[in-house]
Amino acid sequence: MSQQGRRPRRFDRRRLVPALLGVLAGCTLASVTVGLGSSAVAQRAHSEAGAVFDATHLPALLRLPGERPRLVYDVHCVPEGVDDPERGCDVDGTVFFREDSREAFRAQKLQPSSSFGMRQLTATVPIDVASDTDGYEYYAEIRTGGRAAPILLPAGGAHAPHRSLPLPNASTVELGSHVFGNADPGERVVFARWGDGPRDVGLEPGRSLPAIGASAFDVTDDGKVVVLLDEAHRRALRFEGHEPAPTSVSLAIDGRLADLATDMDGSMYVLESVAAPGRTPLVRWFDRAGRELGVVETAERTPAEIRSGSDGPVVLQHPSHQWMPVADGGALSPPRAQARKAAVGRPVGAGRQVVVLRRGAGEILAAILAGGRVQRSWRIRSDTPLGDVQLAEPAGNRLVIVSRVFTHATDEFTVLVLDGHRLGRQFSTPSDEWAEAAPLGRFRLVGHDLYRLGSNASGAFVARYDLEMP
Amino acid sequence: MSGARPFAVSLAVTLGLALVGATAAYHTRFVADNCNAAAPTPTSYITRDGSATVALRARFEGYQWAGGCWNDNDRDDSPNDPHEDPATGGEGGDCSGFTFKVWRESLDQSDSGFQQWGMLRNVHGPYTAAAFKAGAGAPNITVSKSVLTKMDALASDGHIGLIYATNPDGTDQIIEAKGEDYGTNIWTRTYRGSSSYTGVRRTGWSA
Repeated sequence: MSQQGRRPRRFDRRRLVPALLGVLAGCTLASVTVGLGSSAVAQRAHSEAGAVFDATHLPALLRLPGERPRLVYDVHCVPEGVDDPERGCDVDGTVFFREDSREAFRAQKLQPSSSFGMRQLTATVPIDVASDTDGYEYYAEIRTGGRAAPILLPAGGAHAPHRSLPLPNASTVELGSHVFGNADPGERVVFARWGDGPRDVGLEPGRSLPAIGASAFDVTDDGKVVVLLDEAHRRALRFEGHEPAPTSVSLAIDGRLADLATDMDGSMYVLESVAAPGRTPLVRWFDRAGRELGVVETAERTPAEIRSGSDGPVVLQHPSHQWMPVADGGALSPPRAQARKAAVGRPVGAGRQVVVLRRGAGEILAAILAGGRVQRSWRIRSDTPLGDVQLAEPAGNRLVIVSRVFTHATDEFTVLVLDGHRLGRQFSTPSDEWAEAAPLGRFRLVGHDLYRLGSNASGAFVARYDLEMP
Repeated sequence: MSGARPFAVSLAVTLGLALVGATAAYHTRFVADNCNAAAPTPTSYITRDGSATVALRARFEGYQWAGGCWNDNDRDDSPNDPHEDPATGGEGGDCSGFTFKVWRESLDQSDSGFQQWGMLRNVHGPYTAAAFKAGAGAPNITVSKSVLTKMDALASDGHIGLIYATNPDGTDQIIEAKGEDYGTNIWTRTYRGSSSYTGVRRTGWSA
């Protein structure tokens, strides 16, 4: 080291000048920026109330013989600048029917109505349409004055209409009253403690927030890898075979009750639930190592779940209540394409779809479609209320349905293995929902193994059930 | 050239510090700068449709623990508020404050009448989620979850959300003020079947 290097530097006042100029410029810029931002906020805050225009519809996906559905659209509409929420605007609409997908749609004007204080537009399906043995397709266009664009329900309109299918030969399954307290906890195959360590799974921060963590999971097709989505730590934990510790894969996600689907090549699709202002939630696609392969918005405001299908991932989206493919030919599909390729049933391979409709307090209608026609169908009735249908998926020649059963005080999941025309097997599982997870992220079926995501005060786990029947 | 680097460094540091400070202050200024204490407007009736409109206007407007004031510009004007502080003065309601305003209730728990609160009226109301769950207050009752309909609520000890629509798979589209990282919006939820949640109804709706 040279002498010059050891010598203390001489203070030079001239060096201060540019630094002081920088401080001065920074203060000025910051003041201008904050001032502009504040005035913009103040202006927005004092603007008039915005327009409201939204519509929802519970589609008549499945129906029993003799039922002639009345189509009901709840419509909310208030003009811009009107503070009184009871002062609605004029709305009208048209529903379009056809019995055969090769025919042109027939238009029928929706009639204004109200029920329980809800403004509605309704239509009774024409008798000739309702009586068609192969069902009918329909969509609605709802309009209002002003600048609002018409609402199409479902979003794909004529390209991907709703479909209502009659079930003339549905097998009836009577469940009676559910007996609580005999739930099978299953074989625990994965467990991760709550915490921030490399083997732990995190809880979302927020004292005012209920416990949310390990929001979703999936299992590879060979059943050898369970992937737990640790959204709080923005990572996936891969539990492989009998390895005691998981492999952590970092993911660039925003999380927030995200759902997860893994693909055969180990890639992962994460469906987020919170969108940027004016946008819809994102599906993020990662390779096995966590490298982002693509991002796409969902077509609709409220996606509910994502599943891997034989032709790529599909997302159940609301308010259309349709399964929409988010990838096509190895590339992510833009929102418009998703809506135009939507279907009422979840694709389950070999050209088949499963359609489910829970109606009333204790009834589920379910059908397997092949080539667009009902192949097999069931009507399941329960004296105990049935809640969310978490899973409806074929296992070989059977259909597995997992639905929640609940009372005021308790809840469990009931697992139904429908074998031909009868109930082949039934058992229940605990709900184990200490922490909240993605709404329909609790169950996965791989071959004849059913997997369940649960949580308790210690951590999150995955339990397995063998559905193979003797 | 010798003065360029110190100029740039000091500019960046000063600008950064100033903006961080201003941002923190901005987050705590939404209520102070925009909200009011105006009296509510008594109304002779309310419909579920009208309450859905109140709720839809709060969509995208953020979340504030213990809060109850928002505008209608479809964005959270105080994003990324600290999670652990109920007094940061940010935009949005929390779950129970949101429900109180959407159900157009009175601060007087013995009053089951209808009060139209302005969006920018900063009011949370007297009920926590747990109080709603217990059916506290003259306008509120608990009901079977099987019969819940639009704008009825599902409440747990720590959260409450309103039914916006029912889905074919037995889930519901819930409109709710969920949390700072979520804001206020419509999501698919399975609260109805969860034993943590009870059905709650505001009484007095006009048909």
